[in-house]
Amino acid sequence: MKILVVDDSRIMRNVLKNILKEKQIDENAILEAGNGVEALEMLKNNEVDLILLDWNMPKLNGIELVKIVRNHERLKEIPIIMVTSEAARYNVMEAIKAGVTDYIIKPIRGEIVHKKLEELLGQ
Amino acid sequence: MNVKYINPFISATINTFKGFLGADLKTEKPSLFDSNKSEIRYDISGIIGLAGEVRGAVVISFPKLVALKIVSDFLKEDIKIFGEDVIDTVGELVNIIAGNAKRDMEEFRIVISLPSVVKGPNHQISWMQGVPVILIPFKSNYGPVYLFVSLKDII
Ligand SMILES: [Mg+2]
Repeated sequence: MKILVVDDSRIMRNVLKNILKEKQIDENAILEAGNGVEALEMLKNNEVDLILLDWNMPKLNGIELVKIVRNHERLKEIPIIMVTSEAARYNVMEAIKAGVTDYIIKPIRGEIVHKKLEELLGQ
Repeated sequence: MNVKYINPFISATINTFKGFLGADLKTEKPSLFDSNKSEIRYDISGIIGLAGEVRGAVVISFPKLVALKIVSDFLKEDIKIFGEDVIDTVGELVNIIAGNAKRDMEEFRIVISLPSVVKGPNHQISWMQGVPVILIPFKSNYGPVYLFVSLKDII
């Protein structure tokens, strides 16, 4: 199993990685990307089972990446949890329309991420 | 001063510190900020531009030692270098504050920029010409935290 963590903040990627490790997810199963372009590169070269995705990032943002993934034959079924500071309802709606599977608003709590993981991956 | 649109930023800052660090902030009296007259000291700022139906900026600033304490606490590691980790954390803090403040201003569709971070003793911030800047000081266990909000036309 592989989980791709996408955020332009390295600190936030580390926070998410630590939350995943608390769920006994192996360090080697976690891939990282600092923007949508890097994420696409990762997705091209790996079989990814879940994406944790920030919205506001340089080069290619989270919403743009969701749209690309959802239109991609091999990638379109991958669950995507948007993990973002964007807390307005119209943003949540926009993300759902673009095709995110779930939505977590920063600041994040470990328990919330764990709960979503259980729902999506059954663990 | 129309505090109606300051409050979402105050709540977002308090909630962000609580959620991010488990820290309690105490809000002090907001005032109109004049960089020529102000006596506050800060060494690092995280800046987010607001566009869409509201234009302006939200800025969070800290003295160097306060920023180092915050980042050390967050990373659970003694951070002494005023470098990349501090810049990253301050940028993400202001990003979370701006994104969360939008929840209480849903009558406006607002687009937030990527954060930029500026360092240097009492560095200048290029505010929008002719738009008032409100300073909201907070007290915390780390020391002073300064929030600046400047919103065109609505405050
Ligand atoms: Mg980001």
